[in-house]
Amino acid sequence: MNWPEVFHNLYMYGFLLYSALLILSYIAISVLSIAEIRNYRHKNSFTDYRVLASSTELPSMSILAPAYNEGETIVENVRSLLSLHYNHLEVIIINDGSKDDSLSRLITTYDLHRIDYFVNEQIPTKPVKGVYKSHNPVYSKLTVVDKVNGGKADALNVGVNIAQNKYYVCIDVDCVLEQDAILKLAKPFLENTSKRVIAVGGVVRIANSCEIEGGRIVKVNLPDQFLPRMQTLEYIRAFLLGRMAWARLNGLLLISGAFGVFDREIVIKCAGYNINTVGEDMELVVRMRRYMEELKEPYRVNFIPDPLCWTEAPASFKILGRQRNRWTRGTIETLRMHKKMFLNPDYGLLGMLSYPYWLFFEFMAPIVEFIGIILFIAACLMGIVTHALVLLMIGVIILGILYSVFAILMEVLTYNQYKRNKDILRLLLVAIIEPFVYHPFVVWSAIRGNIDLLRKKNSWGEMTRQGFVGKKPVG
Amino acid sequence: MEIHLSHFNTIYFSAKMSLPLTLLSGLSYMGILIESLSILIISLLFFMLIFLYNKSINEKQHEKWRLIAGLLIRKAVFHDNEDNPDATVPLTARAESLMHNRHFRQLVTEELITTKKSLAGMASENLKHLYQQLQLDKYALTNLKSPQWYVKAKAIQELTLMELKDVLPKLYRYTNNKNELVRMEAQSATVQFYGFEGLRFLNVITYPISEWQQIKLLQQLSQAAPVDVSIDTWLRSKNSSVAVFALKLARSYHWFQWHDTILACLEHPEANVRLQAIDCLCEIYTDKTAAILKSRFWQEELEIQLAIVKALRSIGTEDDAPFLVSLLAYDNNEMKIYAARAVTHISKNGLELIGISASASGYPLNEILAQIKGELAV
Repeated sequence: MNWPEVFHNLYMYGFLLYSALLILSYIAISVLSIAEIRNYRHKNSFTDYRVLASSTELPSMSILAPAYNEGETIVENVRSLLSLHYNHLEVIIINDGSKDDSLSRLITTYDLHRIDYFVNEQIPTKPVKGVYKSHNPVYSKLTVVDKVNGGKADALNVGVNIAQNKYYVCIDVDCVLEQDAILKLAKPFLENTSKRVIAVGGVVRIANSCEIEGGRIVKVNLPDQFLPRMQTLEYIRAFLLGRMAWARLNGLLLISGAFGVFDREIVIKCAGYNINTVGEDMELVVRMRRYMEELKEPYRVNFIPDPLCWTEAPASFKILGRQRNRWTRGTIETLRMHKKMFLNPDYGLLGMLSYPYWLFFEFMAPIVEFIGIILFIAACLMGIVTHALVLLMIGVIILGILYSVFAILMEVLTYNQYKRNKDILRLLLVAIIEPFVYHPFVVWSAIRGNIDLLRKKNSWGEMTRQGFVGKKPVG
Repeated sequence: MEIHLSHFNTIYFSAKMSLPLTLLSGLSYMGILIESLSILIISLLFFMLIFLYNKSINEKQHEKWRLIAGLLIRKAVFHDNEDNPDATVPLTARAESLMHNRHFRQLVTEELITTKKSLAGMASENLKHLYQQLQLDKYALTNLKSPQWYVKAKAIQELTLMELKDVLPKLYRYTNNKNELVRMEAQSATVQFYGFEGLRFLNVITYPISEWQQIKLLQQLSQAAPVDVSIDTWLRSKNSSVAVFALKLARSYHWFQWHDTILACLEHPEANVRLQAIDCLCEIYTDKTAAILKSRFWQEELEIQLAIVKALRSIGTEDDAPFLVSLLAYDNNEMKIYAARAVTHISKNGLELIGISASASGYPLNEILAQIKGELAV
């Protein structure tokens, strides 16, 4: 065998191995997610959340909601947060140096006054300009912090410093939470007796086209617009299958920055959110896990599948592209920061399975796809595309569709948020067209993320929101 | 916010890269693969369509069944059996035949439970009779033997909600079951039936009681008539969660008679028991408690030290102020805040006492002091 032939075979079998492993991972994810969702739903059927709601024994929680130029919607969003059902709750809004009138709107609406407040800076942050509390006892739960702009991670670190409670909920201020969302997220911390629960994540759903009234989702609709609808399927697949499967294994590396609960003590011991990455949510979870692994203390990162948090998905290619670009950079930065764990048995499942999976199938997948596209085009131009290749290509597309259809089936069998059969059929249609009209764009955005990282471009990327206010469906 | 999405198309494109696939398998194998996958997709789609169709049919049927069950329950609620306690609720032929259907039984049970939760007195008793008349208790007892934990736990929950006290001996043996949910339901059952006396399972359980279960039990006990029970054994239990729960009970019901035993818990090897004991002593204390807490202060870890300072804020007196002022020099800002708050709370001259502290004019005490002044003004 000559060298070109050896290289060729290595290359070919390498890709085949990659494909086979990816298929196996999807099968494993499907099986594990079924087991975990089944287990969760069985357990949950015994839970009476009214007992929790009225208990004085609940752990105290602080909601941290960083806000940057959210003036249009912030007043209503804060009202929605203040109405959540939970006994021991404080709501901390961190105004991250907004250039708009967010702060003055909050001050006027909630009768806020600047107070003397000692910020115990356990995590170093940009300076705090002022802390505001309301004179109106109705808003006694509310604290507004005004600080110099430093980005989301820095704002969250200020929130962690100021929070008074054992656990904190990190949310995007524009998210709409279900009334019992905090109760449901609190439960895993109360249930575990053998392992310390350090974080709990929740499912994020797409709110575009849903009807929202008084800061609550009153009717769930499938988004009317193309991109949000595509993302609906993506989110179902990612949260209902991926996250649940990893939670089953206790190998979850990511809790969405839009909605998760964290053990404040561990976060402080880990020095809080890293301001040098745009993927601060994933990086924190990885660092917390790494910290616990190094301490050799038993711990868990949990995930609950109930649809509790609703967010507005980007409806334009420009905004979506920025978002995916940022996610890609965040993933790479996190993996790079914690490369010590890669295939390191000292980190158990984290080092031997979670990290390699993310490296090979989350970070590398878009690169492999992109190179594949280039080579395929080259092969077409050179006229060397075989029938077998075309057939395999069709097979793999079908497999992808199958995975999506399975995710929809899981949704229908479990939470069934889209009650109308018409919506389910529309989702099935999305599953069929997604690989052709949407996925290539996501891959391209990820590639741009890689390029931007190589060019050391670290911007967050502005996320323009349309807002949820009013009765009319969003988007 | 970030989610990570499946990359199924990776396979597709990576496959595209392996150009000389003919080396691998040949067209026939690929064809079979594609056919199989296509059949799988079509089957799944077909299954979903059938499922959606069945769902809408079932929903309609359940609506009808719900009407039948509702009628049955209404009959039972208003059933007058004062003259003849053994009188049964008349069943329609349709209802009787439907009782052989597992799904209908399940629906009737759910409806019975929901209604019973909101009723009391004779109406509630009538529902219990209906439950027995329909022999749903027998099905529940059969389910107790199920190898599936959730079936077993559901049966325990059902029998408890239906207040079938005579099955308690059967349920009691599950209070230390290896499955968490099964033992939780069994423990709740004994408390539901016997209130504080039902807590005797605490003498024997070896598995920990989760905080969630403790909340549930405390909630259930709040509905029962308070009875003084001996918590001595529980406070000394090898199962630390039992000790923690006993401390919560002592605190909730102000069982002052256990003060000295609770003090002994401050020596417990597990920090969470010591923390709970300090919390409990905030409610049950004598004039010596504060001094004992202070004496333990320097042997403890930071979390417990903070809990002691918090406790002193509730139970301390002017005599404890110098100790708290001394903590202002502690190399921990959280401790400084807690100590300053405690001093201003227990001493009329708290602010002055802090003011004469050597470091009061410097950072961070000056800011802490300003914050506390603001808090006191509100």
